[in-house]
Amino acid sequence: MCSGVGPLPSPLVSETAFPTGSADFGDRAGPARGGRDRSDREIIARAVRDTVPVLIPVAPFGFVLGVAILESVMPAAVGWSTSPTIFGGAAQLAVVTLAGVTTVWTVVIAALVINARHVIYSAALGPAFSAQPRWFRWLGPFVLIDQLFAVVATRTHLNPEEFRTYYLSVGAFLYVAWAMFVTVGMIIGPAVPSSWRLDSAPAVMFVGLVVVSLTRRPAVVAAVVAALVALLSAGLRDRLGILVGAVAGMIAGAIAETLAARSSTGVHNEASS
Amino acid sequence: MSVWSAIMIVVIVAVGTYLMRAVPLLVLADRELPVTMQRALRNAGPAVLSALVVVMVASSPEGVRIDPIEVGALVAAGLVAWWRRNLIWSLIAGMAALWIAAALFG
Repeated sequence: MCSGVGPLPSPLVSETAFPTGSADFGDRAGPARGGRDRSDREIIARAVRDTVPVLIPVAPFGFVLGVAILESVMPAAVGWSTSPTIFGGAAQLAVVTLAGVTTVWTVVIAALVINARHVIYSAALGPAFSAQPRWFRWLGPFVLIDQLFAVVATRTHLNPEEFRTYYLSVGAFLYVAWAMFVTVGMIIGPAVPSSWRLDSAPAVMFVGLVVVSLTRRPAVVAAVVAALVALLSAGLRDRLGILVGAVAGMIAGAIAETLAARSSTGVHNEASS
Repeated sequence: MSVWSAIMIVVIVAVGTYLMRAVPLLVLADRELPVTMQRALRNAGPAVLSALVVVMVASSPEGVRIDPIEVGALVAAGLVAWWRRNLIWSLIAGMAALWIAAALFG
């Protein structure tokens, strides 16, 4: 699921993920490290409170996905099963809208590329998981989505046991809520008249997801190059233009990242000399 | 699309997604991802979604064709997403633009 499809920049994570009253929780974690002065109940309550602000914006996304599942050539039950199995909104929406209009492998690759940013989250959480038991190191990543990363990324100072309770609470809450949103979309979908043109909602949703994720210049470069190349290759059979455009965009984005890194170290060197 | 190919898509994407979420955490532990890899992955989402929208909008069963009403709606959604940085307002603006344009020119 998604508040954006780009990795969350760290300022966003630290400033907006915890809008209310998180300071006391964070501060008390310092001296308590290694000890255990917070009850499970307190941690779960905090996890729920931290999760609600990131959950509300994805509710309409879940409804759109639910409606798209009904419109898809995929059997509805298989479409619904993407929520508990793939558990990633943009990739799920891509799977159900692309199924039947392109090759199986184009669908698979497009969905996996959409979720490729999770590799970065996973690597970033490595240290926080190194002291965790094996079962949690295997189970935890299953629910590692944008919203979860945003919420837990600044809680890694909790002691391992508390971090585990917190992480699992956030994950379970997001997991259940997301499946519910999608289910509600599938229930109300048939009642919506076709004049509402909800069949166009996935495209509108994708545009919003892309634009909201354009917080850094390399991301803008990647999206614009991908769009232009996709437009030029839109006539390719089986909509392979999606993959051609995506690869071009990723390469352009990587080049832009390299140039941005180089110019910022240049500035840094000038300033320090 | 057969039920089996639908199930196959879901299973492969689900397993692949899980591996991308789990393997770096399990394998890297305290080390970092190579910089080149980070740079390539960081913009994968915007790149593929942007290409996806363009191809979805531009291709129809009759070949490359563009519906000005739909494009107008997507532009409205994009502008509002840029302005408000909010997915809900973007969705509302895009759908509203679609309804208004369809009522006027449809």
